[in-house]
Amino acid sequence: MVAQDSERALVPVASELAGPRPVPDGGVDVARLLVGAAFGLAVEAQRRSLDAAGAVVGRLGWPLGVLARPAGAVARGSVAVARHHLDLDRWAARGLAQQRRAQEMAVGAVRALIAALVVAVLDQVDLDQVVARVDLDRMLDRVDPNQIAARIDLDAIARRIDLEAIVGRVDLDAVVARIDLPRLTEEVIDEVDLGEIIRESSSTMASETVDALRVQGMRVDGLVSRLVDRVLLRQGQRQLGPLPEELGS
Amino acid sequence: MTRAIRYAQARALQGHRAGFASRVVADLVDLGVAWLLGLSALLAAGVVRYLLTGPPLRLPVVPNRLGVVGGAGIAVAYLALCWAATGRSAGKQLAGLRVVDRAGRRLTLWRSFTRAVLYVLFPAGLLWVLASRRNASVQDLVVGTAVVYDWAYHPADEALPTGDGRSPGPARSSKHA
Repeated sequence: MVAQDSERALVPVASELAGPRPVPDGGVDVARLLVGAAFGLAVEAQRRSLDAAGAVVGRLGWPLGVLARPAGAVARGSVAVARHHLDLDRWAARGLAQQRRAQEMAVGAVRALIAALVVAVLDQVDLDQVVARVDLDRMLDRVDPNQIAARIDLDAIARRIDLEAIVGRVDLDAVVARIDLPRLTEEVIDEVDLGEIIRESSSTMASETVDALRVQGMRVDGLVSRLVDRVLLRQGQRQLGPLPEELGS
Repeated sequence: MTRAIRYAQARALQGHRAGFASRVVADLVDLGVAWLLGLSALLAAGVVRYLLTGPPLRLPVVPNRLGVVGGAGIAVAYLALCWAATGRSAGKQLAGLRVVDRAGRRLTLWRSFTRAVLYVLFPAGLLWVLASRRNASVQDLVVGTAVVYDWAYHPADEALPTGDGRSPGPARSSKHA
């Protein structure tokens, strides 16, 4: 409320800048018009008189300065007399004190004004909207991760890592002590199923042996048959099969 | 079929009549098996007698005639049951052989029994395989059977031994000429 009041008092509202407010019946408030006109006239007169004084000083500065010197001396002398007789110092002290109080009040007012302004601005600003208007994607598009990565000197980082020191700090014995080797071994053996491997390989070996034996038997069979046929001076081939097709013959 | 037959020559000869050497090896193994069966029967009898009459635990002494008859009976029973059931005894399993009838089917129990009796009575009939053009023993000729190379396993409902030999060519048969 304080901030609003102070704001209300110091910042002119738009309607107040637009000239005298029209009276509801369409006419003009004559009293306000006259006061305003008089004030405006005074302001304008002050500005022009200052301009004129400035112009006079600019053109006639040096002669006026020369002429003013004796006047200045007289004035300084009269001031010294007045200072002595009229107790100018006391008046000046009072004036200065009043001036300092006015300055302090002005500083306090300005500070209150700034605080009120900041609060008012923050009240008006919707930060969510501001954030919503920020296009993060575009910003990220402008960021090149590769460029960033290229600027990172991994070798230098790696060089600064003292592996020996790290390894030295690892207590391998403690690590090994924490591993339950017998249980681990059991689990591995359970997974591997050595029995199955041994069964498979031994059965494969056995079947290989039997197959080899059978093939040798077949060869000896053929050899013996040929031998006997030769001894018997037999011509032609033995009719050995295969069996079902032999039926018709 | 339990596994692929690894040797090309063996594959080509599947279903063909087996020769003398293989059959002798198979029959020698079967003889050993029959002997072990007889020994087991004696042991069993000894244990039974021990249980009934007490110590000592000894193999029973069997009269010669009874021993011969008992051994022959065990051999006949073993061979007949094996041939009728799967077509192969332990020895024939080892040698990769199978006993079938002339059509390649499994033997009936009766035919299998007859063959077993003939083999036990007259083992020398196997020698005719050497001379026979069809690798047939005397027993094969009498009972009408054959012994073929057949390594593969056949389920009970599969009547015929199968193999690459089912579709032969003359070149393959000439190997045994």
